Amino acid sequence: MVSRDEVMAALKAVPGPDGRASLPESGAVSGVTIRDGKVFAAIAIDPARARAMEPMREKAEAAIRAIPGVAGAVVTLTAEQARGGAGASPGDAHQGAPPRRHGRPSEPLPGVKHIVAVASGKGGVGKSTVACNLAVGLTRLGLKVGVLDADLFGPSMPRLFGIHAKPGLAPDGKRLIPIESFGVKVMSIGFLIEEGAPVVWRGPMVISALNQLLREVAWGELDALIVDMPPGTGDVQLTMAQNVPLAGAVIVSTPQDLALIDARRGISMFGKVEVPILGIVENMSYFVCPHCGGRTDVFSHGGARKEAETLGVPFLGEAPLDLAIRVNSDDGRPVAATMPESAQANAFLEIARRVADTLAAGAPGARPAPRIRILD
Amino acid sequence: MASPSAPWPTDITARDKGRTLEVAFDDGQTIRLTAEKLRVESPSAEVKGHSPSQRRIVTGKENVAIVGLEPVGNYAVKIVFDDGHDTGLYTWAYLRELAG
Repeated sequence: MVSRDEVMAALKAVPGPDGRASLPESGAVSGVTIRDGKVFAAIAIDPARARAMEPMREKAEAAIRAIPGVAGAVVTLTAEQARGGAGASPGDAHQGAPPRRHGRPSEPLPGVKHIVAVASGKGGVGKSTVACNLAVGLTRLGLKVGVLDADLFGPSMPRLFGIHAKPGLAPDGKRLIPIESFGVKVMSIGFLIEEGAPVVWRGPMVISALNQLLREVAWGELDALIVDMPPGTGDVQLTMAQNVPLAGAVIVSTPQDLALIDARRGISMFGKVEVPILGIVENMSYFVCPHCGGRTDVFSHGGARKEAETLGVPFLGEAPLDLAIRVNSDDGRPVAATMPESAQANAFLEIARRVADTLAAGAPGARPAPRIRILD
Repeated sequence: MASPSAPWPTDITARDKGRTLEVAFDDGQTIRLTAEKLRVESPSAEVKGHSPSQRRIVTGKENVAIVGLEPVGNYAVKIVFDDGHDTGLYTWAYLRELAG
């Protein structure tokens, strides 16, 4: 069995936070516990230097791992200061708190003017198809556009944009280069996993993956970054709405009541976190029979427009339930690009124009973020 | 949805070496809250629990100071205190409420 003394002896080889005294001498090591050959320890540091302290943490882990009989080592940095006036009281048990996450939440993305979420209250309403064609439509209006496929549980952008390549590394060796298709820069978790492979992740992993897709990608200059959200209004969606500095959200719904109830839920979720609603898109609005030309309102046309009026949010337009859209989407040829003169493409272009206008004018209810400062 | 007329902060400033938080709203009102009050009334589940019965009384925070402020989306600020507490998200409305 490994003992605490052995751990401390091994840590003598690692310089502490000041770079001179060894870790045990520095008094910064706390909470050493040993379970089943696994060693856990915490090093108290100045939170402002968390990043600079990372190599020290790694060295400490390596030193512990090198002890014979140790099955694993987890060393965390904690912001716990020397116990001063603030004192330790119940509820203070922050020993062993994880180090600062990289990528602070809701920091703006440099170079990206507007981040727009495309969301739906439920799945199966064509949210991703709308997001894809909206992005292409925005490029046709002359905007520089990116798409972030944040639908981690069912990424469909690789297919919708017909992308089979894997993203390469930027020259800085850290960031991924998004793949350009039909003038849109696309990044998707789907590039990194096999199509059809399930992503079985819990909330925190999803959030850290999302932060990486958002911040560790060389987006360059963009007028708009369209984020294809996972459907629904669960924990993941809410956390995304909190973590991504969104200019606004586009809600996609089919016109039947069942879908609209969920759309309303989505709108209210964004309202809770003060993300403005850019408007509602009615997808699968109606069906024109390719044989007889007769029109059928499969899901009861006009429901989303009425709902938008009731809720006092803009109505962005409607796209039909259409074979050409379905076939081309499945083949990776967005109709907004490949059938530019068609009625279908026009529908999406119209939606894109309204979104672009709203972004230029400022989303309804959008207010500038407060200035946040720490003064002495 | 928050009503469009709800007061919106324009400036959030930690002062006095992190002992005071000053929040200016667009309706002209400026509120000042002590770090102690903010710490004790943290909206975090670590403090409030998941129901009123789980609420923890936090004491001994007279000298606590704010060491970090991080924006959270469009609706709240996360306050990091020097005792390590950093899980409270203070919405604009909650800050107003604390000021009474």
